[in-house]
Parts: sequence; C-alpha cells; structure tokens
Amino acid sequence: MEEFDSEPTVTWIPGVNSQKKQMCFDWGPGEMLVCETSFNRKEKSEMVAGCPFIHIIRKDIDVYSKILRKLFNESHGIFVGLQRIEEELTGKSRKAQLVRVSKNYRSVIRACMEEMHQFAVADKDSARGRQFSSQVSILSAMELIWNLCEILFIEVAPAGPLLLYLLDWVRLHVCEVDNLSADVLGSENPSKHESFWNLVTTLVLQGRLDEARQMLSKEADTNPTSAGMCRVLGDLMRTMPVLSPGNTQTLTELELRWQHWHEECERHLQDGTFASNPHLESLCKVLLGDDAALLEQKELLSNWYHFLVTRLLYSQPTVKPMDLHLYAQSSLDLFLGGESSPEPLDNILMAAFEFDIHQVIKECSLALSNWWFVAHLTDLLDHCKLLQSHNLYFGSNMREFLLLEYASGLFAHHSLWQLGVDYCDHCPELGRVSLELHIERIPLTTEQKALKVLRVCEQRQMTEQVRSICKILAMKAVRNNRLGSALSWSIRAKDAAFATLVSDRFLRDYCERGCFSDLDLIDNLGPAMMLSDRLTFLGKYREFHRLYGEKRFVDAASLLLSLMTSQIAPRSFWMTLLTDALPLLEQKQVIFSAEQTYELLRCLEDLTSGRPLCGEPDVQQLQDDDIETTKVEILRLALARNLARSIIKEGSLEGS
Amino acid sequence: MGETVSVINTVDTSHEDMIHDAQMDYYGTRLATCSSDRSVKIFDVRNGGQILVADLRGHEGPVWQVAWAHPMYGNILASCSYDRKVIIWKEENGTWEKTHEHTGHDSSVNSVCWAPHDYGLILACGSSDGAISLLTYTGLGQWEVKKINNAHTIGCNAVSWAPAVVPGSLIDQPSGQKPNYIKKFASGGCDNLIKLWKEEEDGQWKEEQKLEAHSDWVRDVAWAPSIGLPTSTIASCSQDGRVFIWTCDDASGSTWSPKLLHKFNDVVWHVSWSITANILAVSGGDNKVTLWKESVDGQWVCISDVNKGQGSVSTSVTEGQQSEQ
Repeated sequence: MEEFDSEPTVTWIPGVNSQKKQMCFDWGPGEMLVCETSFNRKEKSEMVAGCPFIHIIRKDIDVYSKILRKLFNESHGIFVGLQRIEEELTGKSRKAQLVRVSKNYRSVIRACMEEMHQFAVADKDSARGRQFSSQVSILSAMELIWNLCEILFIEVAPAGPLLLYLLDWVRLHVCEVDNLSADVLGSENPSKHESFWNLVTTLVLQGRLDEARQMLSKEADTNPTSAGMCRVLGDLMRTMPVLSPGNTQTLTELELRWQHWHEECERHLQDGTFASNPHLESLCKVLLGDDAALLEQKELLSNWYHFLVTRLLYSQPTVKPMDLHLYAQSSLDLFLGGESSPEPLDNILMAAFEFDIHQVIKECSLALSNWWFVAHLTDLLDHCKLLQSHNLYFGSNMREFLLLEYASGLFAHHSLWQLGVDYCDHCPELGRVSLELHIERIPLTTEQKALKVLRVCEQRQMTEQVRSICKILAMKAVRNNRLGSALSWSIRAKDAAFATLVSDRFLRDYCERGCFSDLDLIDNLGPAMMLSDRLTFLGKYREFHRLYGEKRFVDAASLLLSLMTSQIAPRSFWMTLLTDALPLLEQKQVIFSAEQTYELLRCLEDLTSGRPLCGEPDVQQLQDDDIETTKVEILRLALARNLARSIIKEGSLEGS
Repeated sequence: MGETVSVINTVDTSHEDMIHDAQMDYYGTRLATCSSDRSVKIFDVRNGGQILVADLRGHEGPVWQVAWAHPMYGNILASCSYDRKVIIWKEENGTWEKTHEHTGHDSSVNSVCWAPHDYGLILACGSSDGAISLLTYTGLGQWEVKKINNAHTIGCNAVSWAPAVVPGSLIDQPSGQKPNYIKKFASGGCDNLIKLWKEEEDGQWKEEQKLEAHSDWVRDVAWAPSIGLPTSTIASCSQDGRVFIWTCDDASGSTWSPKLLHKFNDVVWHVSWSITANILAVSGGDNKVTLWKESVDGQWVCISDVNKGQGSVSTSVTEGQQSEQ
C-alpha cells in the first residue's frame, strides 16, 4: 500500500486552553466527548481549578443539512431499486439499465446542486452563503467524477463514441459559454462585442462547430474583408468528419477521412489563407490540434481535462480507451506547466483515465467529507461486476465496508435512520450485526418511533433486540406508573420475570384501591396469559370478578377455589381471595359444595396456622391482629354455615 | 475538500476541580461526569442543551470513573473513587439517589465497567489493592459480591468486559431460562499484564490468560464490540507509551497475538472503541487524542489528531498514515 506523505492534520478544540492539562475522550453513540483532565491521579486535588467544560463533538454534519437530506432520501430510493432489479438484469439490457441508474444518481446530485446554488446566491455575502457555495463546488466535483466513471466504467464507451461522450462531459461541466453566448448574441453588434472572439474560440474548443460557424457568418456580414476567410474556415468546420450515432462507417473509414481533412486544414495554414486575421489563424491551429495554440487558450479551457478532450478531438478522435491515460497524463503536465501541483480532484480523474477503479474509490474516500459518494458509486460499480473482492479485517468486501460506513452516519439522525436500515439489509455479510448494534441505540423518544424500531427488528427476527427494546419501554412505563403499557411491553418482550413484576403491581394496586386499572388489557390477554404464573393469576382473578359481575356464581366460585388449590395464587393474596369468597358464602342459595367448603376451610387453616412456605418472597404477615382475627372469625363462621347448608342440600333428594 | 468535525455543544459542568471522566448514556441524551471535587453530575444534553439533572454527593475523595448501565434496567449509573468506594446510583420517580454502596476494597477503586446486559446487571470494579470485585444485582435491592483477590500485584487499573456471545445453538430458549453465556472480561494492572478472566460453571472466576507485552503499568484495556466476525479484539495502553491491538481467532480460542499500533512519546492513559468498533480513540499524555482505523490491507491508520487549544471551530482533517515503529 502506498505511503501518504501527509501527516494527519490536527483538529483544534477551542476553549480548552492549558498546555499542561491532558485531554479526556469518550465515545457517545453518535458523537465524541472531550474534556480537559489530568490523568495523573493524585489524591489531593491540585488547588488549581480545572476546566469545567466538556465539549461534544460530532463528525459528518452533512447528515443534518436540510438540502442534502433530499440527496440522501432520493439516492436511497435509487439504491434500493438497484438491489431489487439485480436479479432481472441480464444481457444487453443490463448495461442500459445500469447506465440509467447511473444517470438517475447524477440527476439527483444536480438537483441538489441547483437548490444549494439558489441558497448560495441568496445568501452570498454571509459565511453561510460561502459555505453553500463550497458545497456546490463539492457536489459539482462529485458529479464530474461520477459522470466520467459512467462513461468509462459503466457505458464502457469504445473508441469513436468515447470521444463524443467525453465531449458531452466537458460541455456539461464547463458551461460558462452559454452565458457568454447570451451576452454576445444579445448585444447590438455581436461581432464587435469584446468577448466575441472568446466566444467563437470557446465554441470551437468544445467542438460546437455549427454554432461557431454561425458566429463566423456574423463576422463575415459585418466585416467584408474577412468574409472570404470566414467562409473558408466555416467550410473546414462544416466538413470535419465526425462519428455520428447510427453511422455505419467503420472507425478506419472515419480515420481515413479525418486524415484527409486534417491535411486540408494544414494546407490552408501553410498557404497563409488566414494570415491577415490572427483570430482566424489561431482558430485554424486549434482545428489542427496544435498544442501550443491550445495552451494559449488556457484561460478559456480553464482546466486540464477540457484541454485533454479538445486535444483528442482535434488530433486523436478515434482514441482507444486504454490509451486515454497517456494523453491524460501529458495533458495534465502540459496544462499545469510545472507551475502548480495536481489537486485531489485531478488525481481522482487521472485514476479514472487509468481505469484504476480502486484508486478512484480510495482517493474519493480521502477527499470527500461524507461516505455518500463512494458508497453509492462503489455499489453501482459492484453491480457492473467491476470490483474484485478486497479482504478487509472486517472480513468482507469493500462495497459492504463503504455502505456500512455511510449507514452509520445515517443512524445518528432522528429520521434518516430508517434509510440506514435498508443499507444494512443489503449487506449480506456484516449488515445484520451492524444493524443490531445501531438499532438499539436509537433513542425511543415517542411511542410511534419505538413501534417503528420494533417493527424493523421483528421483521428481521432480531429477537434479542426486540426483547431488549420492549424491556426498556416496559421499565419506562412502570416508572411512569403506566402499568397497562408496561404489561403489554413485557408480553411483547416475552419477559416472564417482568410480567410477574408488573402483575404484582396490578394486584397491589387492586388491594389498595379495590379496583383494577387497564381492564381492557387484562381481559384480552388471551394466550399471553401463560407467560408467567403471576400474570395467569391476574387474568384469572379478573375473570373471577367478571363471572361474579355476570352473576355466574357457581362458575366464579369454582374458579376462585381453583386459584388457591392450584397454587397459582400467591400466598400473600389468599386472604383477599377468601374475603372475596364471603359474599358467595352469604348468598341465599348454596354455591360452594361441601367438598369445596372443606377445601376452603383447609386453605384457611393453612394460612392461619403455618409459617410462610419457603420460597415465597413476599408473604404478607398477618399483621394487625385484631382486624385479622375478626376476619378469620367471620370467615370461619361463614364457612361453617355454608358447610352445614351444603351438606343438607346434598343430602336431600333433588327438587325437595 | 475535507472532513469537518464540529463542536456541537459545550457543557459547563461547573465542577470545581479536575474532571476525570465523562460518559454519554446509551442514546446520547444524557451525560455523566465525575471530578476531583468528589461529585458526580448528570446533564440532559438533548438538542444541544445542557440541563443539570443531578448533582450526586456521596464520595469522600476524587471520583475516577462513571459508567452507565443498560437502559433496560432503568437509569443506573456506577461511580468509583479514591475513597475506596463504588457507588451505584439510580433514578427513582424522577430523582437520582444512591441505591447501593460497595466498600469491599482497601484502596482506591480505579475502574468500573458494566457487563453486557444479557448477563444481567453485573458490575466489575478494579482497585489499587490489586483486587477485582464483581457486583451482581440479585433483586430487591440486593447485590451479591464476588471478589478476585490479588488479580494484579500492586494494583488493577482497568476492567473491560467481552461482548456477549451465545455458545452453541441459537434456538430461542423458553422464556425465563437464560442461555448459557460464557462470561469473560479483561483487566489491566500495575504488574504490566493484561489478564483475561472467565466464569467457571461453579460461579467462580478463573484467570484464563495472561497477555504480556507491555514493559510498564497497563493503564487501560478495551474489549472491542462484536461485529459478527469470529475474531476477538482487545486494545491496551500503558505507561510505556505503547498501544497494542490483541486479536484472537476464535477457532483456536486461546492464542492472542499483539500488534503494536503505535509507540507514543508519553504515557498513554486511555483507549476506547467506537460503538461499531471501527475506530479506536487513544488519549495520551501528549495532550492529544488520536483516532485510528484499520484500513483495507490490515494496517492501522491514524485518521485524525484531536488536539486541544485555541483555534478555529472546524478545520480540515485528512486521513494519513503514521509509520509504525
């Protein structure tokens, strides 16, 4: 791996001043914490007061930009669409589809650029305006790079069409000419406009020869002396052989014709046809692809890749893709002329011309502030089957690595996290774990958000995360005394222990207030009741109350008894249950059978005689002896009376 | 074009003395800090704000570290101090209170770390008396203590838990039954060693491995979060200025190989992993925090130096590579 010469540059945290103090650091889920400290732990505090400030730092602030959010949202749609159509892509249509996807991404970038440009212009004198402007340049550079990658790697333009694509590329990105054109043509006497010749030259440099000819004819009209020369030059422009789409000529034929035409231009130059008009002469040299003449137009060309394409247009129109890099390197060298060194953008473009995809990705990763670009581009190139698997420590290929880096940044955002989920989904090797780590950290600020997060986890069978999140929500609900909510969360989490805890709270509340809260929930527990014994008891106990309310006394009675005999009811509750039995014992008709009454008596004896069973954590001691004794007395009396009546009833003949 | 880092909030803790630790809670909504002024403070830092939620007093000496428990257990914070105590604080009904105090150490307690939530509520504490104690919440306000005496001679400086890994099949256990986790944690001490501890079937903790590479006191250890690969990773830093990355291929289960991340010119005090374990932060005596990342070919690359000082709010940071020694 190459060595980079640059040392990592330093980020300064403002306000933390002293040179003697050290820096303490920790990670938050989406940010970093920094504060001044002293690691040398002395027992006595130094009398010098430390700095009480803690700084919270965040990278990747792009995620918070409102305008870029559209970029993230729309590109997410394209990304997901691409993953889905992957299986259907075959043969010829595959390439066309992939090119379409690439163009979609690019149009999203351009839309974002447009919008940001509006803001930049509106705000142009402030720092924010400048920030917008710089964002616009970055987006523009991204689109420039992406476009080139599309031509070279996805479209895979062969010699011939390659040049046409490159011309389009340059025209798209060096577009001041349109403004210039409007200026000049809008003036009274275009050919006398001070920028007239600049315009014509620019048009020629961009291979827009028809428009250049129109300009020349205007010059011819106003300046009779040059009319002849303009006509000749115009003819040369008109007759330049170009590959038109759909043309059936071969490359060789084109080359041959082009060679002839080139010689004709050369002859005119030698003959001095344009000698009396330096503008026209220099234009002729341009048509001949003369490097020196082109370099004179450095300012109009404005960058080396424009220079490259113009050079190719007028000297190597049938350039082969694999030879591009030679011309690219020489163009870069000539254009910079040793006065300046290549910038990161130049290096990226050069890597593309060299068809070194990995280098392109690497350089882009270094140069750009956000993983968005490399993640999406790499994914697309991967679909074009252009990436060899690169084994990382992380164990998977570069595509996943980049996508997950990008997704990590999304999870920090309060609504974009949902996009992050999809990116993780499409990383078969490491996506799941990454999702598991991130999803638990999403703050569950509202019930709605919690439900969304849970749905995501449930859809992916992330049972651990579901359990964990439900548990957190259940705890929060208990703390806020929303027992019904807590219960439903613990049921969803399938957390028996917590369900028991919440059920206990319900029962305690009942004992204190004499009524249940959240009846709806308890009534409709269904099979969830089986989650924990205490919960089952709660459900059944409520059922007892319902039966009693419906005057189905016999059923209620059996249920009540079974609650005690089956040991579902906690011992601490037995007294309450027995007390509940009282009204049933006092009814006119006999409800409890003799057998049942014996059972009840046994339960009562159990309760009053014995010490708590071992293992019962919260046995209610029989306190307040007076009240308790009275209760017990009343119960004994009621039970005895019922026993008597039931024996009599059962002993008698039916109906009598 | 470059990366920007931006200070989004500066919290004025009003601590009257040196701050020793600051920790964000699970969701990044609350910040806990502790200081030589003997207090532990909790702030609500949502939306760039800073609201003091609690000012907890109870320690009688400088407080060295704080640690948040997993939110499923409620809002719980542990702190450890020079006063030989570990205090566990809990938020009940909107107020923070001391819920437990552990006084089983004879010397300063230097480090506290909560175990993965899957194991329950368990806190490991490392102390200058050389012992490590493990506090397990058993319910109803009760905490069970297990102590590993003489874990490190002279003193233990750091403890860090391994991420939870369920051995064997991943079939859902019936509710109420806990899967059989193999609980492990790492500790670093003044004997220049890193030790790996494992819980045996009988509930006792046994020293499983010794990792030797440092030539001076080990100041911090950090076990990286699991990212789904079969390798385990631990970062360690020491008085000797070195930071090592230890990796173990789980297939063999027992061979840990160290890789020197970097040799610094000063003591390195603190190492910590980002949430998804892809960046390691190293805090050193040279007043800097460096961020490291493993690159495509397995080399560790320094991606940023975070320094303190006066200067512009956001500057460019570019990735680069520092040579290893």
